[in-house]
Amino acid sequence: MVVLLLRCFATLLHAMLMLALAPLLMGVVTKIRARLLGRRGPVLLQPYRDLWKLIHKIPLIPDTATELYKIWPFVSFAAIGAVALLVPGFALNLASARFSDFITIIGLFAVSRAAIMLAGLETGFGFGAAGAAREALFGLFSEAALLVVVLVFGLISGDPTVDGIATYFSFGQLGISVSLGFALVATLAVALTETGRIPADNPAGHLELAMVHEAMLLEYSGRYLALFQYTACLRLMIWFSLIATVFFPFGMAQAGNILSWPMGLISWLAKLGALAAALALFEVSTAKMRVFRVPEFLGVALLLGLLAVIFLFVAGRLSA
Amino acid sequence: MVGLPGRGMHLGIDPLSALFLCLLAPQVVAAAVAVERKSVTFWVFVLGMVLALVAADSFALILGFELMSAASWLLVLRGDRRPDGRPPATLYAGVALFSAACLIPAVFLPAGGIAFVLLLLGAGAKAGLAPLHSWLPRAHPAPSAGVSAVMSGGMVSVALYVIIRYAFIVFGNAAEPWWGTVLMAVGAASVLIGALRCLLEVELKTVLACSTVEHMGLIAVGLGVALRARAMDDPALASLALQAALLCAVAHALFKPLLFLGAGAVHHATGTTSLDWLGGLMRCMPRLGVLMLVGAAGMAALPLGPGFAPEFLLLHAVIAAAGSGGVMAWIGFAALFGILGLSAALALAAGVRVIGFGFLGRPRSLHAAAAEEADRLTLIGMGILAVCCVLVALTPGLLLRAMAPVISEAVPGALPQALAYAPLPLALLMAVLAAVAFVALRRFGARGEREVPAWNGGFGKPPVWLPFGDPATQPIASGFAEPVRRVLGPALLGRAGLDPGERYILAPLSRLHLRLTRLAELVRRATIRQRLAFVFGALVMFLLALGLGQNG
Repeated sequence: MVVLLLRCFATLLHAMLMLALAPLLMGVVTKIRARLLGRRGPVLLQPYRDLWKLIHKIPLIPDTATELYKIWPFVSFAAIGAVALLVPGFALNLASARFSDFITIIGLFAVSRAAIMLAGLETGFGFGAAGAAREALFGLFSEAALLVVVLVFGLISGDPTVDGIATYFSFGQLGISVSLGFALVATLAVALTETGRIPADNPAGHLELAMVHEAMLLEYSGRYLALFQYTACLRLMIWFSLIATVFFPFGMAQAGNILSWPMGLISWLAKLGALAAALALFEVSTAKMRVFRVPEFLGVALLLGLLAVIFLFVAGRLSA
Repeated sequence: MVGLPGRGMHLGIDPLSALFLCLLAPQVVAAAVAVERKSVTFWVFVLGMVLALVAADSFALILGFELMSAASWLLVLRGDRRPDGRPPATLYAGVALFSAACLIPAVFLPAGGIAFVLLLLGAGAKAGLAPLHSWLPRAHPAPSAGVSAVMSGGMVSVALYVIIRYAFIVFGNAAEPWWGTVLMAVGAASVLIGALRCLLEVELKTVLACSTVEHMGLIAVGLGVALRARAMDDPALASLALQAALLCAVAHALFKPLLFLGAGAVHHATGTTSLDWLGGLMRCMPRLGVLMLVGAAGMAALPLGPGFAPEFLLLHAVIAAAGSGGVMAWIGFAALFGILGLSAALALAAGVRVIGFGFLGRPRSLHAAAAEEADRLTLIGMGILAVCCVLVALTPGLLLRAMAPVISEAVPGALPQALAYAPLPLALLMAVLAAVAFVALRRFGARGEREVPAWNGGFGKPPVWLPFGDPATQPIASGFAEPVRRVLGPALLGRAGLDPGERYILAPLSRLHLRLTRLAELVRRATIRQRLAFVFGALVMFLLALGLGQNG
């Protein structure tokens, strides 16, 4: 009973931290990136200020938009918010662990993507539709690559939930596996595309022709734009947590054991910081790709996923 | 009494046929309410499907199946012509004849590999499985909306029923693992080509027909995994995969007729179903738009839509199946998984495209701008299906429990599998999150909003004589699909962009037909001297052969 209460409490804490810290994470990435480029960069809390500024502006609704224009930000946010509750952060074995099936999570990402694409098509002008078309193109390969990576996890751990996979990886005698290395690279490529970072997309881009994610939100303003931007922060947070949980599950707390929480929180924040630094470093050292190079980039990720499956078989045969 | 001499005709209902009858009922009711109340041919068509489902012997099954084929051929023949001017009825009749020619020997042959292959060819051609799928996107959109709906939702289900009935129950004990592998390969090819064409086609009804090919492929993959597992004595996996296939059939039989009826209403209101000429229909047809949104969510297999639970089960079944078998199976299942992922994303893009270009944005023609809401009966018919869709979407667990007798009938010793996907809590969670966001934005944010011309990257407001802006500045549906066509088209469709089913099956057949016709024409046009020479030559050859035969 106490354990159950603790698990619920941990889930609540996890949800609040995820929702509260998401813009801060975006601020950290921007700051580190600016520092690496030799600039001072905005303060860490700048994303909060931007959101606050946006929700105090009166939204301008395009006259060609339909009634559903105001619904898409909420759909997109609700789907991503649900994922934020399902993906473990500082602790394993949260109350939501049973539902954290990888395929459900991919489905919820797809819901959010569909809502953003429809938001881009809402007003019937060129930039939004161009962004949506590119998003659809990237989605093809990222979803396929991600699913093959999930197959790798499923074959290794025999458990489809993120929580079960992380538990298996943190306790199982795994050693260093070639397959997991390939899977990590594939996941990183998918994560970069899904969160709209360089080299697939530039979140700070201001040239309409080159934008993907931002192009779809071009006609949004005020609180609706704030919700979309917040959702983008949350998505980055989720992907970092997902990668940290699955590939680096050391130091994670057990939700039922309150004494392990501080250690779990510290290691989670440290992992997020390290990933933010890695992302910033990667972004300043690469250039944005042409749109039609991105499918090749993701095709490599898909191929690495397939290679991971094959290596898994070979490893299984060698050890048997 | 009709029937085989001395045996008569037997009818009977078991769990499998009951499931398919239940699946047929809502769409027939909806189509009848919406459009097809008075058409006798439609009711004969329905009668044929019901007869095929309640048949308890092969003869009755074939009778029902062929009645269904013949009636639907009449309906296709009567339907409007495709814009490219090629009447699909002839093609349809050819496929129906081929299907009958394979199916009739299959059901009377003893259980075995040949019977299974013939069954798959016969019923697969009817269900639109690759490589015999290319007639479906031509023939299904041809008749009126109600008939299209029941053809795409019901007739293909009857073909699936025949596959399940024979592969699992009648031939069940002779099943071998390679049957399942063949079914999976056929299914994967249909999924990929169906999903890709679903995104590339421009006519709304053709898009929907291509999506039917895709979903039939998904069901075939599920059936293949189940059949292989059954033959390899793995009842747990077999029941999981069969659950996926049957749930997919149920979901498909609800959302596809819904979308077809909607497409018919769009055609009625605007005179076209080309996505390149529609747009902004959500403004003048809001109810229809919301109903179509429900159907499109199912087509795109989004969570909280009816199509997600089967996709979920199917992917889990493939993960479970990947661990069994040798290296070829291992690689094959990984590739299958990649294909399923790619197609899921293609289906998502196609669903977004139908809604985004048909119902959102600006009208692309005056007809689309002046459309009126669909009539009440159509909306009621679609409403029935939409309610069923929502029920299936939110309570797939209950449905799976109700399907348990079907599973244990098809897979002896089946173990019922619980569903790890819980849509109700998920829906609740998302509703709470959306509500919290809404309240927070209302509480802390600025009130009110202002309607302005779209910013559009800084372009000015369109002049008054162009109320929806300059039509030339609008994105169109084919443009949306263009990046995907550029990336995947050359690999999957070849340089000409033609469906492989047309390029490798229909085109050679049509060339052969042309060559035979020319030959026949040569014979017909021969002069009297040529004919005499031919007869003389034949006589000499005959005598020569006779003489040689006697000597030797």
